[in-house]
Amino acid sequence: MERTCPGVATLRRDQDKATGGRAEDAEAADAALAASGDGSAFERLYRSHAARVHSLVRRMMGPETADDVTQDIFIRAWQKLATFRGEAAFGTWLHRLAVNVILARRTSLGVERGRFDDSAAALETAPSRPHAPDVAMDFDDAVSRLPDGARQVFVLHDVEGYKHDEIADMLGIVPGTSKSQLHHARMALRRHLDR
Amino acid sequence: MMKDNWTDRLSEYVDGTLGVGERAALEAHLAGCVPCAATLEELRRVVARARALDDRPPAADLWPKIAAGIGRAIPARGAVADLGERRPKGLPTGRPKRHLAFTVPQLIAASVALIVLSGGATWLLRARAATTPVGIAPPQARWLTAADRRYETTVAELQGALVEGRRTGRLDSTTVRILERNLATIDTAIAQARRALAEDPGSAYLNHHLADTMRRKLELLRQATALTGTQS
Repeated sequence: MERTCPGVATLRRDQDKATGGRAEDAEAADAALAASGDGSAFERLYRSHAARVHSLVRRMMGPETADDVTQDIFIRAWQKLATFRGEAAFGTWLHRLAVNVILARRTSLGVERGRFDDSAAALETAPSRPHAPDVAMDFDDAVSRLPDGARQVFVLHDVEGYKHDEIADMLGIVPGTSKSQLHHARMALRRHLDR
Repeated sequence: MMKDNWTDRLSEYVDGTLGVGERAALEAHLAGCVPCAATLEELRRVVARARALDDRPPAADLWPKIAAGIGRAIPARGAVADLGERRPKGLPTGRPKRHLAFTVPQLIAASVALIVLSGGATWLLRARAATTPVGIAPPQARWLTAADRRYETTVAELQGALVEGRRTGRLDSTTVRILERNLATIDTAIAQARRALAEDPGSAYLNHHLADTMRRKLELLRQATALTGTQS
C-alpha cells in the first residue's frame, strides 16, 4: 500500500479541483452544451485545456507528433462527451482520455519496443545526448531525452501525479518496474537541476 | 559514481513507500552516509522541479483542424464568449484576449434576447412535454443536477457582490434595476426549464437549454459584478 507523502496531495491531473468551483461550474455547463452539439462550448473547453494536454503529449511522445496527437485527443473527447458523467472534473476526465490516446498511439507506432530497457547505462547517458553546446538543455528537454519507458513513468508519476499501481495498469508492467524506471529517470535528471 | 545498497531505495523513501522497518534502517544509514544524503536531496529537487513544470500551449492554434475533425464550422472570430479567467496563461496570440465590458444598453439587449429565448423555449417545452414519454435521464441531466450546488454557491457570491456594489454606490440605481429585471427573467427561464425537465428528463434539448440559460446567468452576473469595479 502506498503512503502519501507530504506535498503530494495536489496533483497536476487534479488541479481542476484546486482552482475552485467556479471554473468547474463553467466547464460543467460547457461540457453539457458540447455534449448536445454546441461547437462553441467545445471550443471554450479546448482553449482552457490545450496547453495542459499539449504539454502532456509533448512530454510523453516528443514534440514532432504533439500537434497531431493533441488534435486527435480533442476529436476523441468530442466523440466521447456522452460518456462524461460529471463524477470528476472535466479536466480530469479529459486528462485520462488523453493518456489513453497517447498510450494507444505509442503502441500502434511500435514505440513501445525496448521501452523498458532500464539498464543504468542507457538511463544515465540518455539526457546527455549531443545538443548545441552553447544552448543549455532545460529540464523539460532533459525529460524528453529520457528513454521511452523511463520518460513515460517519470511524466505520469512525477509530473502528472499517478501512482505506481495506476501506471503499471496503464503501461502493462508490474509496479516494481514502474518504481525502478522512476528511480533511474530521477537519477539521470539530477544533473539538469540547475538549468 | 559512488553507490551502495541503499541508493536504489532513495526514490521509494522520497515517495514514502518504504515499509516502516526499511524506512528506519535507511534513516539510520543516511545519518552516516554523506553521498546518500546528497543524492536524496537531489532526488527531492528533481521531484519538486517536475511538479513545477509549466504547461506550454501549442505554437499554432489547433482549433481549426479540430473543428474540421468534428465536423463543425469554425465560428466567426470572436464568436465565442471568451471569459478571461478561463484562458490559460501564454495562449498563442492567434485569438487575442477580449475584455468584455457590458454597457447598460448591452444588458438590456441581453435581457430582450433572453425573454425571446425563454418564451420560445417555453412553447417548445410544453409542446415536447405533451408528446414525449417520460424516459430515463441521460447522463447530462444527472450531472447537471450534481453541479447545481456549486452553481448556486457561485450565483450567491456574485449576487452578494452586486449588493455590495449597490451599497457602496458603485452601481447606479438605474443599472441595478435593469440588472435585477434581467436576472428575474433568467430565473424564470431556468425555473421553466427545470419544471419541463422534471416531466421530460430525457430531452437533450431541455438539458441544453437549461445549461445554456444557467451559463448566461453566470456570465451576466460576472459582467455585472465587473461593472462594480469599473463604474465610479
